Amino acid sequence: MNKRYVMVHDENKCIGCQACNIACRSENNVPEGVTRLQVRVEGPFGEAPHLHFKYNRVSCQQCENAPCVSVCPTGAAYIDENGLVSIHNDKCVGCQYCVAACPYKVRFINPITKAADKCNFCKDTRLARGEQPACVTACPTDALYFGDANDSQSEVALLLNTKITYQEKTHLGTKPRVYRIPTKRGGIES
Amino acid sequence: MNNTWGDMAQYDPVTWNWVIAVYLFMAGLSAGSVLIGIGMRWYSRDKQTESPILKAAALIGPVAISLGLACLVFDLTKPFHFWLILVNYNFQSVMAIGVAALLAYSPLGIAYALIVLKDDLPKWKLGFLSGIADLLMPFRKIIEVLLFILAIGVGAYTGFLISAMNAYPMLNTAVLPALFLVSGLSAGAAANLVVALLMFNTDTHSPEVAKMHRIELPVIIAEMMFLVMLFSALYFTGGSAATALASLNTGIWASVFWIGVVGIGFAIPLLAMLLPSSARHSKALMLTVACCSLTGVLALRHFIVYAGQSYIS
Ligand code: SF4
Ligand code: SF4
Ligand code: SF4
Repeated sequence: MNKRYVMVHDENKCIGCQACNIACRSENNVPEGVTRLQVRVEGPFGEAPHLHFKYNRVSCQQCENAPCVSVCPTGAAYIDENGLVSIHNDKCVGCQYCVAACPYKVRFINPITKAADKCNFCKDTRLARGEQPACVTACPTDALYFGDANDSQSEVALLLNTKITYQEKTHLGTKPRVYRIPTKRGGIES
Repeated sequence: MNNTWGDMAQYDPVTWNWVIAVYLFMAGLSAGSVLIGIGMRWYSRDKQTESPILKAAALIGPVAISLGLACLVFDLTKPFHFWLILVNYNFQSVMAIGVAALLAYSPLGIAYALIVLKDDLPKWKLGFLSGIADLLMPFRKIIEVLLFILAIGVGAYTGFLISAMNAYPMLNTAVLPALFLVSGLSAGAAANLVVALLMFNTDTHSPEVAKMHRIELPVIIAEMMFLVMLFSALYFTGGSAATALASLNTGIWASVFWIGVVGIGFAIPLLAMLLPSSARHSKALMLTVACCSLTGVLALRHFIVYAGQSYIS
Protein backbone atom coordinates (compact mmCIF):
# COMPACT_ATOMS: atom_id res chain seq x y z
CA MET A 1 0.00 0.00 0.00
CA ASN A 2 1.69 3.15 -1.17
CA LYS A 3 -0.66 5.76 0.23
CA ARG A 4 -2.33 6.17 3.58
CA TYR A 5 -5.03 8.76 3.17
CA VAL A 6 -6.26 10.20 6.44
CA MET A 7 -8.54 13.02 7.45
CA VAL A 8 -8.08 15.23 10.49
CA HIS A 9 -10.99 17.15 11.97
CA ASP A 10 -10.00 19.95 14.29
CA GLU A 11 -12.91 20.20 16.71
CA ASN A 12 -11.59 23.54 18.01
CA LYS A 13 -11.99 25.21 14.65
CA CYS A 14 -15.27 23.54 13.70
CA ILE A 15 -18.40 25.66 14.11
CA GLY A 16 -20.94 23.03 13.04
CA CYS A 17 -22.05 25.02 10.00
CA GLN A 18 -22.64 21.93 7.79
CA ALA A 19 -20.90 23.53 4.78
CA CYS A 20 -18.99 20.24 4.43
CA ASN A 21 -22.20 18.26 4.57
CA ILE A 22 -23.76 20.31 1.77
CA ALA A 23 -20.60 20.34 -0.38
CA CYS A 24 -20.45 16.54 -0.07
CA ARG A 25 -24.06 16.20 -1.23
CA SER A 26 -23.59 18.19 -4.38
CA GLU A 27 -20.14 16.83 -5.25
CA ASN A 28 -21.10 13.19 -4.87
CA ASN A 29 -24.77 13.39 -5.95
CA VAL A 30 -25.95 12.09 -2.61
CA PRO A 31 -29.72 11.60 -2.92
CA GLU A 32 -32.32 13.25 -0.71
CA GLY A 33 -32.89 11.58 2.66
CA VAL A 34 -29.46 9.97 3.05
CA THR A 35 -26.07 11.45 3.78
CA ARG A 36 -22.39 10.59 3.74
CA LEU A 37 -21.46 13.16 6.32
CA GLN A 38 -23.01 14.94 9.25
CA VAL A 39 -21.39 17.15 11.85
CA ARG A 40 -23.47 16.67 14.96
CA VAL A 41 -23.42 19.45 17.49
CA GLU A 42 -23.49 17.82 20.91
CA GLY A 43 -23.75 19.58 24.21
CA PRO A 44 -23.51 22.08 25.73
CA PHE A 45 -21.01 20.67 28.19
CA GLY A 46 -19.60 22.40 31.28
CA GLU A 47 -20.81 25.34 33.40
CA ALA A 48 -21.52 28.86 32.16
CA PRO A 49 -19.52 30.92 31.26
CA HIS A 50 -17.36 28.03 30.12
CA LEU A 51 -20.03 26.26 28.13
CA HIS A 52 -18.76 24.44 25.10
CA PHE A 53 -20.13 22.16 22.40
CA LYS A 54 -18.67 19.09 20.84
CA TYR A 55 -18.60 18.90 17.05
CA ASN A 56 -18.79 15.27 16.12
CA ARG A 57 -18.00 14.41 12.52
CA VAL A 58 -20.07 11.38 11.54
CA SER A 59 -18.80 9.83 8.32
CA CYS A 60 -17.00 6.70 7.18
CA GLN A 61 -13.86 6.30 9.26
CA GLN A 62 -12.01 4.53 6.44
CA CYS A 63 -11.05 1.74 8.83
CA GLU A 64 -7.77 0.00 8.11
CA ASN A 65 -9.34 -3.10 9.57
CA ALA A 66 -12.82 -2.59 8.16
CA PRO A 67 -15.67 -4.76 9.47
CA CYS A 68 -17.81 -3.79 6.46
CA VAL A 69 -15.25 -5.37 4.14
CA SER A 70 -14.77 -8.62 6.01
CA VAL A 71 -18.50 -9.33 6.30
CA CYS A 72 -19.44 -8.55 2.69
CA PRO A 73 -20.38 -11.90 1.09
CA THR A 74 -19.70 -10.89 -2.50
CA GLY A 75 -16.56 -8.82 -2.11
CA ALA A 76 -18.52 -5.73 -3.22
CA ALA A 77 -17.01 -3.91 -0.25
CA TYR A 78 -13.26 -3.86 -0.77
CA ILE A 79 -10.07 -1.99 0.00
CA ASP A 80 -8.46 -0.43 -3.05
CA GLU A 81 -4.77 -0.15 -3.91
CA ASN A 82 -4.50 3.08 -1.93
CA GLY A 83 -6.19 1.61 1.10
CA LEU A 84 -9.52 3.35 0.54
CA VAL A 85 -12.54 1.36 1.66
CA SER A 86 -14.70 1.31 -1.46
CA ILE A 87 -17.78 -0.37 -2.94
CA HIS A 88 -18.31 -2.07 -6.30
CA ASN A 89 -21.91 -1.03 -7.00
CA ASP A 90 -22.45 -3.81 -9.51
CA LYS A 91 -21.33 -6.56 -7.14
CA CYS A 92 -23.51 -5.40 -4.23
CA VAL A 93 -26.75 -7.34 -3.67
CA GLY A 94 -27.97 -5.10 -0.88
CA CYS A 95 -27.88 -7.67 1.91
CA GLN A 96 -27.08 -4.83 4.36
CA TYR A 97 -24.59 -6.97 6.26
CA CYS A 98 -22.06 -4.14 5.99
CA VAL A 99 -24.64 -1.58 7.11
CA ALA A 100 -25.31 -3.65 10.21
CA ALA A 101 -21.64 -4.45 10.84
CA CYS A 102 -20.27 -0.89 10.65
CA PRO A 103 -19.70 0.17 14.27
CA TYR A 104 -19.92 3.83 13.29
CA LYS A 105 -23.34 3.40 11.60
CA VAL A 106 -22.24 5.46 8.62
CA ARG A 107 -23.17 3.04 5.85
CA PHE A 108 -26.49 3.28 4.12
CA ILE A 109 -28.31 1.93 1.11
CA ASN A 110 -28.38 4.49 -1.67
CA PRO A 111 -32.07 4.83 -2.64
CA ILE A 112 -31.17 5.37 -6.31
CA THR A 113 -28.55 2.68 -6.91
CA LYS A 114 -29.89 0.31 -4.21
CA ALA A 115 -26.25 -0.47 -3.39
CA ALA A 116 -24.42 0.26 -0.15
CA ASP A 117 -22.89 3.74 -0.04
CA LYS A 118 -20.76 5.94 2.23
CA CYS A 119 -17.97 8.51 2.23
CA ASN A 120 -15.04 7.36 0.11
CA PHE A 121 -12.88 10.45 0.54
CA CYS A 122 -14.29 11.69 -2.80
CA LYS A 123 -12.30 9.02 -4.57
CA ASP A 124 -14.50 8.99 -7.70
CA THR A 125 -14.91 12.72 -7.92
CA ARG A 126 -12.43 15.22 -6.58
CA LEU A 127 -9.63 12.85 -5.66
CA ALA A 128 -9.76 11.40 -9.17
CA ARG A 129 -9.10 14.89 -10.46
CA GLY A 130 -6.21 15.43 -8.09
CA GLU A 131 -8.17 17.76 -5.83
CA GLN A 132 -8.90 17.78 -2.13
CA PRO A 133 -12.22 16.28 -0.97
CA ALA A 134 -15.24 18.56 -1.23
CA CYS A 135 -15.79 18.80 2.52
CA VAL A 136 -12.19 19.90 3.08
CA THR A 137 -12.35 22.58 0.41
CA ALA A 138 -15.72 23.90 1.52
CA CYS A 139 -14.88 24.27 5.21
CA PRO A 140 -14.93 28.03 5.99
CA THR A 141 -12.74 27.71 9.09
CA ASP A 142 -10.20 25.23 7.69
CA ALA A 143 -11.10 22.69 10.33
CA LEU A 144 -10.48 19.77 7.97
CA TYR A 145 -7.19 18.41 6.69
CA PHE A 146 -6.71 15.60 4.23
CA GLY A 147 -3.67 13.91 2.78
CA ASP A 148 -1.25 11.01 2.66
CA ALA A 149 0.09 10.29 6.13
CA ASN A 150 2.81 8.10 4.65
CA ASP A 151 4.37 11.24 3.20
CA SER A 152 6.24 12.65 6.18
CA GLN A 153 6.22 16.15 4.67
CA SER A 154 2.45 16.29 4.22
CA GLU A 155 0.31 18.64 6.26
CA VAL A 156 -1.56 15.74 7.87
CA ALA A 157 1.64 13.93 8.86
CA LEU A 158 2.95 17.10 10.52
CA LEU A 159 -0.37 17.60 12.29
CA LEU A 160 -0.49 14.05 13.61
CA ASN A 161 3.05 14.49 14.88
CA THR A 162 2.42 17.74 16.69
CA LYS A 163 -1.18 17.69 17.92
CA ILE A 164 -3.01 15.49 20.35
CA THR A 165 -5.57 13.52 18.37
CA TYR A 166 -8.00 10.74 19.05
CA GLN A 167 -10.01 8.30 16.95
CA GLU A 168 -13.44 6.87 17.67
CA LYS A 169 -14.08 3.38 19.07
CA THR A 170 -10.48 2.22 18.80
CA HIS A 171 -11.27 -0.55 21.27
CA LEU A 172 -13.02 -2.41 18.45
CA GLY A 173 -9.74 -2.80 16.58
CA THR A 174 -10.99 -1.07 13.43
CA LYS A 175 -8.06 1.38 13.16
CA PRO A 176 -10.04 4.37 11.88
CA ARG A 177 -8.29 6.89 9.61
CA VAL A 178 -10.33 9.87 10.67
CA TYR A 179 -8.43 11.67 13.43
CA ARG A 180 -9.96 14.28 15.68
CA ILE A 181 -8.28 17.12 17.52
CA PRO A 182 -10.28 17.50 20.74
CA THR A 183 -11.63 20.81 21.95
CA LYS A 184 -9.18 22.25 24.45
CA ARG A 185 -11.93 23.01 26.91
CA GLY A 186 -13.51 19.59 26.77
CA GLY A 187 -12.31 16.18 27.72
CA ILE A 188 -11.73 13.53 25.15
CA GLU A 189 -14.85 11.57 24.46
CA SER A 190 -14.97 8.79 21.97
CA MET B 1 -36.20 17.72 11.58
CA ASN B 2 -35.02 20.15 14.21
CA ASN B 3 -31.27 19.85 13.99
CA THR B 4 -28.82 21.45 11.63
CA TRP B 5 -27.23 18.30 10.30
CA GLY B 6 -30.17 16.61 8.60
CA ASP B 7 -32.19 13.44 8.48
CA MET B 8 -31.28 10.81 11.08
CA ALA B 9 -33.37 7.96 9.64
CA GLN B 10 -30.42 6.13 8.10
CA TYR B 11 -28.64 6.01 11.46
CA ASP B 12 -31.20 3.71 13.08
CA PRO B 13 -29.00 1.01 14.59
CA VAL B 14 -31.58 -1.70 13.85
CA THR B 15 -30.65 -2.58 10.29
CA TRP B 16 -31.92 -6.12 10.09
CA ASN B 17 -35.61 -6.52 10.85
CA TRP B 18 -38.24 -9.20 11.37
CA VAL B 19 -37.70 -10.67 7.91
CA ILE B 20 -34.20 -11.66 8.98
CA ALA B 21 -35.53 -12.95 12.31
CA VAL B 22 -37.97 -15.17 10.40
CA TYR B 23 -35.15 -16.34 8.13
CA LEU B 24 -32.99 -17.23 11.14
CA PHE B 25 -35.96 -19.09 12.61
CA MET B 26 -36.65 -21.03 9.42
CA ALA B 27 -32.99 -21.99 8.94
CA GLY B 28 -32.74 -23.17 12.55
CA LEU B 29 -36.05 -25.04 12.26
CA SER B 30 -34.98 -26.76 9.06
CA ALA B 31 -31.61 -27.80 10.46
CA GLY B 32 -33.03 -28.88 13.83
CA SER B 33 -35.77 -30.95 12.30
CA VAL B 34 -33.34 -32.73 9.95
CA LEU B 35 -30.86 -33.37 12.77
CA ILE B 36 -33.56 -34.94 14.95
CA GLY B 37 -35.08 -36.95 12.13
CA ILE B 38 -31.77 -38.44 10.98
CA GLY B 39 -30.40 -38.78 14.50
CA MET B 40 -33.45 -40.77 15.58
CA ARG B 41 -33.17 -43.03 12.57
CA TRP B 42 -29.57 -43.81 13.47
CA TYR B 43 -30.58 -44.64 17.02
CA SER B 44 -33.54 -46.78 16.06
CA ARG B 45 -33.22 -50.51 15.50
CA ASP B 46 -35.79 -50.55 12.73
CA LYS B 47 -34.11 -49.08 9.68
CA GLN B 48 -36.55 -50.60 7.16
CA THR B 49 -39.71 -48.58 7.72
CA GLU B 50 -39.66 -44.82 7.39
CA SER B 51 -40.98 -43.51 10.70
CA PRO B 52 -43.51 -40.67 10.70
CA ILE B 53 -40.98 -38.48 12.51
CA LEU B 54 -38.36 -39.06 9.83
CA LYS B 55 -40.92 -38.37 7.12
CA ALA B 56 -41.89 -35.15 8.85
CA ALA B 57 -38.23 -34.13 9.10
CA ALA B 58 -37.57 -34.98 5.46
CA LEU B 59 -40.46 -32.73 4.50
CA ILE B 60 -39.80 -29.84 6.88
CA GLY B 61 -36.07 -29.65 6.08
CA PRO B 62 -36.34 -28.44 2.47
CA VAL B 63 -39.67 -26.61 2.89
CA ALA B 64 -38.49 -24.51 5.85
CA ILE B 65 -35.16 -23.62 4.29
CA SER B 66 -36.86 -22.63 1.03
CA LEU B 67 -39.27 -20.34 2.86
CA GLY B 68 -36.34 -18.91 4.80
CA LEU B 69 -34.32 -18.27 1.66
CA ALA B 70 -37.34 -16.62 0.06
CA CYS B 71 -37.39 -14.20 3.03
CA LEU B 72 -33.70 -13.56 2.62
CA VAL B 73 -33.92 -12.79 -1.10
CA PHE B 74 -37.03 -10.67 -0.63
CA ASP B 75 -35.14 -8.63 1.96
CA LEU B 76 -32.23 -7.74 -0.36
CA THR B 77 -32.39 -4.23 -1.74
CA LYS B 78 -31.53 -5.77 -5.12
CA PRO B 79 -33.51 -9.04 -5.02
CA PHE B 80 -33.10 -9.64 -8.75
CA HIS B 81 -29.35 -9.60 -8.34
CA PHE B 82 -29.36 -12.34 -5.74
CA TRP B 83 -27.39 -14.55 -8.12
CA LEU B 84 -24.39 -12.29 -7.58
CA ILE B 85 -24.12 -13.83 -4.14
CA LEU B 86 -23.92 -17.28 -5.73
CA VAL B 87 -21.02 -16.45 -8.03
CA ASN B 88 -18.87 -14.10 -5.92
CA TYR B 89 -17.49 -15.48 -2.70
CA ASN B 90 -15.57 -13.66 -0.01
CA PHE B 91 -14.71 -16.52 2.31
CA GLN B 92 -13.85 -14.10 5.10
CA SER B 93 -17.58 -13.46 5.29
CA VAL B 94 -19.76 -15.75 7.38
CA MET B 95 -22.60 -15.03 4.97
CA ALA B 96 -20.58 -16.31 2.01
CA ILE B 97 -19.72 -19.50 3.91
CA GLY B 98 -23.39 -19.89 4.81
CA VAL B 99 -24.48 -19.43 1.21
CA ALA B 100 -22.00 -22.11 0.13
CA ALA B 101 -23.33 -24.48 2.80
CA LEU B 102 -26.94 -23.76 1.82
CA LEU B 103 -26.09 -24.35 -1.81
CA ALA B 104 -25.24 -27.95 -0.90
CA TYR B 105 -27.77 -28.34 1.93
CA SER B 106 -30.91 -27.38 0.02
CA PRO B 107 -30.62 -29.80 -2.94
CA LEU B 108 -29.44 -32.59 -0.62
CA GLY B 109 -32.47 -31.94 1.57
CA ILE B 110 -34.75 -32.28 -1.44
CA ALA B 111 -32.98 -35.46 -2.54
CA TYR B 112 -33.35 -36.91 0.92
CA ALA B 113 -37.03 -35.99 1.02
CA LEU B 114 -37.60 -37.86 -2.25
CA ILE B 115 -35.88 -40.94 -0.82
CA VAL B 116 -37.74 -40.98 2.49
CA LEU B 117 -41.12 -40.04 1.06
CA LYS B 118 -40.86 -42.32 -1.97
CA ASP B 119 -43.94 -44.34 -1.05
CA ASP B 120 -45.98 -41.23 -0.31
CA LEU B 121 -45.21 -39.50 -3.61
CA PRO B 122 -48.03 -41.16 -5.62
CA LYS B 123 -50.53 -40.12 -2.92
CA TRP B 124 -49.58 -36.48 -3.49
CA LYS B 125 -49.78 -36.86 -7.27
CA LEU B 126 -46.00 -36.62 -7.41
CA GLY B 127 -45.58 -40.16 -8.69
CA PHE B 128 -43.48 -38.89 -11.59
CA LEU B 129 -40.71 -38.16 -9.07
CA SER B 130 -40.50 -41.80 -7.98
CA GLY B 131 -38.03 -42.52 -10.77
CA ILE B 132 -35.62 -39.92 -9.38
CA ALA B 133 -36.12 -41.34 -5.90
CA ASP B 134 -35.16 -44.81 -7.19
CA LEU B 135 -32.01 -43.41 -8.78
CA LEU B 136 -31.05 -41.71 -5.52
CA MET B 137 -31.75 -44.72 -3.32
CA PRO B 138 -28.26 -46.31 -3.59
CA PHE B 139 -26.75 -43.05 -2.27
CA ARG B 140 -28.99 -42.88 0.76
CA LYS B 141 -26.27 -43.38 3.35
CA ILE B 142 -23.90 -40.78 1.95
CA ILE B 143 -26.69 -38.25 1.42
CA GLU B 144 -27.85 -38.83 4.98
CA VAL B 145 -24.40 -38.31 6.48
CA LEU B 146 -23.65 -35.21 4.39
CA LEU B 147 -27.05 -33.73 5.15
CA PHE B 148 -26.56 -34.30 8.86
CA ILE B 149 -23.16 -32.57 8.86
CA LEU B 150 -24.44 -29.68 6.76
CA ALA B 151 -27.47 -29.33 9.04
CA ILE B 152 -25.14 -28.77 12.01
CA GLY B 153 -23.39 -26.13 9.91
CA VAL B 154 -26.62 -24.43 8.87
CA GLY B 155 -28.00 -24.43 12.42
CA ALA B 156 -24.88 -22.91 13.90
CA TYR B 157 -24.05 -20.57 11.02
CA THR B 158 -27.14 -18.44 11.64
CA GLY B 159 -25.66 -17.70 15.06
CA PHE B 160 -22.20 -17.01 13.64
CA LEU B 161 -23.79 -14.70 11.04
CA ILE B 162 -24.91 -12.21 13.63
CA SER B 163 -22.19 -12.84 16.20
CA ALA B 164 -19.54 -11.79 13.66
CA MET B 165 -20.49 -8.13 14.15
CA ASN B 166 -18.34 -6.70 16.91
CA ALA B 167 -20.37 -3.49 17.03
CA TYR B 168 -23.12 -5.18 19.04
CA PRO B 169 -22.10 -6.60 22.43
CA MET B 170 -25.18 -8.80 22.79
CA LEU B 171 -24.59 -10.42 19.42
CA ASN B 172 -20.81 -10.54 19.51
CA THR B 173 -20.56 -13.53 21.84
CA ALA B 174 -19.43 -17.11 21.36
CA VAL B 175 -22.60 -18.44 22.98
CA LEU B 176 -24.90 -17.31 20.18
CA PRO B 177 -24.17 -20.08 17.64
CA ALA B 178 -24.66 -22.72 20.35
CA LEU B 179 -27.87 -21.05 21.55
CA PHE B 180 -29.19 -20.92 17.99
CA LEU B 181 -28.29 -24.56 17.37
CA VAL B 182 -30.10 -25.88 20.46
CA SER B 183 -33.12 -23.64 20.02
CA GLY B 184 -33.23 -24.86 16.42
CA LEU B 185 -33.35 -28.41 17.79
CA SER B 186 -36.25 -27.51 20.02
CA ALA B 187 -38.14 -25.93 17.11
CA GLY B 188 -37.27 -28.90 14.91
CA ALA B 189 -38.57 -31.42 17.44
CA ALA B 190 -41.82 -29.48 17.85
CA ALA B 191 -42.36 -29.12 14.12
CA ASN B 192 -41.58 -32.81 13.51
CA LEU B 193 -44.23 -33.71 16.06
CA VAL B 194 -46.86 -31.43 14.56
CA VAL B 195 -46.31 -32.71 11.04
CA ALA B 196 -46.05 -36.35 12.14
CA LEU B 197 -49.32 -36.08 14.07
CA LEU B 198 -51.26 -34.15 11.46
CA MET B 199 -49.90 -35.48 8.17
CA PHE B 200 -48.54 -38.91 8.88
CA ASN B 201 -51.08 -39.98 11.51
CA THR B 202 -48.53 -41.05 14.03
CA ASP B 203 -49.82 -42.46 17.29
CA THR B 204 -49.33 -40.24 20.34
CA HIS B 205 -48.20 -43.33 22.27
CA SER B 206 -45.67 -44.51 19.70
CA PRO B 207 -42.14 -45.19 20.95
CA GLU B 208 -40.82 -42.68 18.41
CA VAL B 209 -42.84 -39.88 19.94
CA ALA B 210 -41.83 -40.95 23.42
CA LYS B 211 -38.19 -40.91 22.38
CA MET B 212 -38.49 -37.43 20.98
CA HIS B 213 -40.11 -36.28 24.18
CA ARG B 214 -37.14 -37.51 26.13
CA ILE B 215 -34.83 -35.00 24.45
CA GLU B 216 -37.22 -32.13 25.10
CA LEU B 217 -36.15 -31.52 28.68
CA PRO B 218 -32.37 -31.52 28.09
CA VAL B 219 -32.82 -29.21 25.10
CA ILE B 220 -34.86 -26.68 27.11
CA ILE B 221 -32.32 -26.81 29.94
CA ALA B 222 -29.45 -26.25 27.50
CA GLU B 223 -31.30 -23.30 25.95
CA MET B 224 -31.84 -21.73 29.36
CA MET B 225 -28.21 -22.28 30.29
CA PHE B 226 -26.96 -20.60 27.13
CA LEU B 227 -29.26 -17.65 27.78
CA VAL B 228 -27.91 -17.30 31.31
CA MET B 229 -24.37 -17.48 29.90
CA LEU B 230 -25.20 -14.81 27.33
CA PHE B 231 -26.53 -12.39 29.90
CA SER B 232 -23.89 -13.06 32.52
CA ALA B 233 -21.18 -12.51 29.89
CA LEU B 234 -22.71 -9.10 29.21
CA TYR B 235 -22.94 -8.37 32.92
CA PHE B 236 -19.31 -9.24 33.63
CA THR B 237 -18.00 -7.43 30.56
CA GLY B 238 -19.49 -4.25 31.99
CA GLY B 239 -19.44 -0.92 30.20
CA SER B 240 -21.55 -0.63 27.08
CA ALA B 241 -22.06 -4.40 27.05
CA ALA B 242 -23.78 -4.30 30.41
CA THR B 243 -26.16 -1.57 29.24
CA ALA B 244 -27.58 -4.15 26.83
CA LEU B 245 -29.02 -5.93 29.87
CA ALA B 246 -31.61 -3.17 29.93
CA SER B 247 -33.29 -5.06 27.12
CA LEU B 248 -34.51 -7.46 29.82
CA ASN B 249 -36.52 -4.90 31.74
CA THR B 250 -37.43 -2.08 29.41
CA GLY B 251 -39.38 -1.78 26.22
CA ILE B 252 -41.29 -4.07 23.97
CA TRP B 253 -38.42 -6.58 23.62
CA ALA B 254 -38.44 -7.21 27.35
CA SER B 255 -42.08 -8.33 27.03
CA VAL B 256 -41.24 -10.45 24.01
CA PHE B 257 -38.49 -12.10 26.05
CA TRP B 258 -40.41 -12.73 29.27
CA ILE B 259 -43.78 -13.58 27.74
CA GLY B 260 -42.71 -15.13 24.45
CA VAL B 261 -39.41 -16.84 25.17
CA VAL B 262 -39.69 -17.65 28.87
CA GLY B 263 -43.46 -17.92 29.42
CA ILE B 264 -44.68 -19.54 26.22
CA GLY B 265 -41.45 -21.17 25.09
CA PHE B 266 -40.11 -22.60 28.37
CA ALA B 267 -42.75 -22.48 31.12
CA ILE B 268 -45.70 -24.02 29.27
CA PRO B 269 -43.76 -27.03 27.88
CA LEU B 270 -42.09 -27.58 31.28
CA LEU B 271 -45.39 -27.39 33.16
CA ALA B 272 -46.98 -29.74 30.65
CA MET B 273 -44.41 -32.35 31.61
CA LEU B 274 -45.88 -32.38 35.12
CA LEU B 275 -49.34 -33.37 33.91
CA PRO B 276 -50.55 -36.95 34.39
CA SER B 277 -49.52 -39.26 31.60
CA SER B 278 -53.03 -39.63 30.17
CA ALA B 279 -53.33 -35.88 29.63
CA ARG B 280 -49.80 -35.61 28.31
CA HIS B 281 -50.57 -38.10 25.58
CA SER B 282 -53.64 -36.38 24.24
CA LYS B 283 -53.12 -35.16 20.72
CA ALA B 284 -54.53 -31.73 21.47
CA LEU B 285 -52.12 -31.13 24.32
CA MET B 286 -49.15 -32.36 22.32
CA LEU B 287 -50.00 -30.02 19.48
CA THR B 288 -50.51 -27.10 21.84
CA VAL B 289 -47.20 -27.64 23.57
CA ALA B 290 -45.39 -28.01 20.24
CA CYS B 291 -46.88 -24.75 19.00
CA CYS B 292 -45.75 -23.06 22.22
CA SER B 293 -42.18 -24.25 21.66
CA LEU B 294 -42.24 -22.97 18.09
CA THR B 295 -43.62 -19.60 19.24
CA GLY B 296 -40.91 -19.40 21.89
CA VAL B 297 -38.11 -19.99 19.39
CA LEU B 298 -39.58 -17.47 16.96
CA ALA B 299 -39.81 -14.95 19.81
CA LEU B 300 -36.19 -15.67 20.76
CA ARG B 301 -34.97 -14.90 17.24
CA HIS B 302 -36.88 -11.61 17.25
CA PHE B 303 -35.60 -10.67 20.67
CA ILE B 304 -31.98 -11.37 19.70
CA VAL B 305 -32.23 -9.56 16.36
CA TYR B 306 -33.93 -6.44 17.70
CA ALA B 307 -32.56 -6.10 21.23
CA GLY B 308 -29.13 -7.20 20.00
CA GLN B 309 -28.94 -4.42 17.44
CA SER B 310 -30.34 -1.79 19.78
CA TYR B 311 -27.18 -1.63 21.90
CA ILE B 312 -23.97 -0.56 20.21
CA SER B 313 -20.58 -0.70 21.85
S1 SF4 C 1 -16.48 3.36 9.18
FE1 SF4 C 1 -17.92 1.76 8.71
S2 SF4 C 1 -18.22 1.92 6.51
FE2 SF4 C 1 -16.36 3.05 6.99
S3 SF4 C 1 -14.68 1.57 6.71
FE3 SF4 C 1 -15.24 1.53 8.86
S4 SF4 C 1 -16.74 -0.13 8.99
FE4 SF4 C 1 -16.58 0.41 6.86
S1 SF4 D 1 -24.91 -4.61 1.14
FE1 SF4 D 1 -23.56 -4.84 -0.62
S2 SF4 D 1 -21.58 -4.07 0.02
FE2 SF4 D 1 -22.81 -4.41 1.86
S3 SF4 D 1 -22.27 -6.45 2.54
FE3 SF4 D 1 -24.08 -6.69 1.27
S4 SF4 D 1 -23.29 -7.07 -0.78
FE4 SF4 D 1 -21.58 -6.26 0.43
S1 SF4 E 1 -14.46 13.19 1.74
FE1 SF4 E 1 -15.90 13.56 0.10
S2 SF4 E 1 -17.36 11.89 0.32
FE2 SF4 E 1 -16.27 12.01 2.24
S3 SF4 E 1 -17.50 13.38 3.53
FE3 SF4 E 1 -15.94 14.65 2.52
S4 SF4 E 1 -16.99 15.40 0.70
FE4 SF4 E 1 -18.18 13.65 1.42
